[in-house]
Amino acid sequence: MKLRNRYPTADRIASQMTPMIDVVFQLLIFFMLTLKLIEPEGDFNINMPLGRPSEAKVTDAELQPIKVRLEADPQTGELRNLRLNDRDLGGGPEVFQLLNAEINKVVLALRNVGPANAENGADMQEVELDPDFGLDYKYVISAISSCSGRVTAEGTTIPLLSRIKFAQVREKEQ
Amino acid sequence: MKIRSSGSNVPNVDMTPMIDIVFQLIAFFMVITNFEQNQADERVRLPRDHLARPPEVKRENSFTLNLGFKRDGETGAITNPEPRLFFGTDEVFVEDSTSRLRQEAQFYEAMDVDLAEVTVEIRSDGDVSTGVVQELIQKCQEVRASQQSTQGFQRFALRANQKTE
Repeated sequence: MKLRNRYPTADRIASQMTPMIDVVFQLLIFFMLTLKLIEPEGDFNINMPLGRPSEAKVTDAELQPIKVRLEADPQTGELRNLRLNDRDLGGGPEVFQLLNAEINKVVLALRNVGPANAENGADMQEVELDPDFGLDYKYVISAISSCSGRVTAEGTTIPLLSRIKFAQVREKEQ
Repeated sequence: MKIRSSGSNVPNVDMTPMIDIVFQLIAFFMVITNFEQNQADERVRLPRDHLARPPEVKRENSFTLNLGFKRDGETGAITNPEPRLFFGTDEVFVEDSTSRLRQEAQFYEAMDVDLAEVTVEIRSDGDVSTGVVQELIQKCQEVRASQQSTQGFQRFALRANQKTE
């Protein structure tokens, strides 16, 4: 004779959810507390020659570095004037756009310079940043950015010059 | 007459939607938690730039130097104008940083890594004088792991926050 279970629900194995929920909540709290919203960061490569400026020899065959001189207000550290190869570009908020446009012109002119199957002129061209000691660092980043690339209206980035270096440290203004 | 409620009338709470949501929350926090940038120091306010991009290939050998000011915790105002390097809870002025930099150099030499292959990532506050950053680079170049060492660090990267707008 077939025996039927009279109380089918009583035999069902009740899974214990409580420990799992405990652990899951602990995990949730851990991730919530350790969360640190950090803005995404990027970087720019830069060189700085070891020797004094007079020791850096440039032969006739090599391209002279583009010199970007950044003059600071000694009291505030704000940018007072930017000079590109002895040409004053001013110190206003639009100066880095101007610098970017000038560097873009140089790069366009250099694209076809250099031997075939070798680096073109733009890849060989160096930029030397010569900031005042007291200049706020944010202006240097803006200058490096203006020399290293250009953002088009569509939002794409066109690389310009990648060889960027610092000049020797200037004396601290009194 | 008193009626007793039987055990079968206990309401059975369905936990499934709650567990679903909690798991989704955990997955969300796991994804957005950044375990990589653990060398970043909150006290440093990096300059912002739209061209600052993370390197395409992850650097094998690099270490980070955080250069900034002591700031007020609430307002963020600079409380001491002397820039300093932050090494966890320690604060070191750039002119006194040689021994710290030598420790880094000795670490890479012990690992048999050429210092020319090591990138020094400089996270400097936007308001720090550029001359101090240059002096720091100079110190990194001049540091030697030992008396037999011939060179210091040679690769440098200046960090900035990505400007998105």
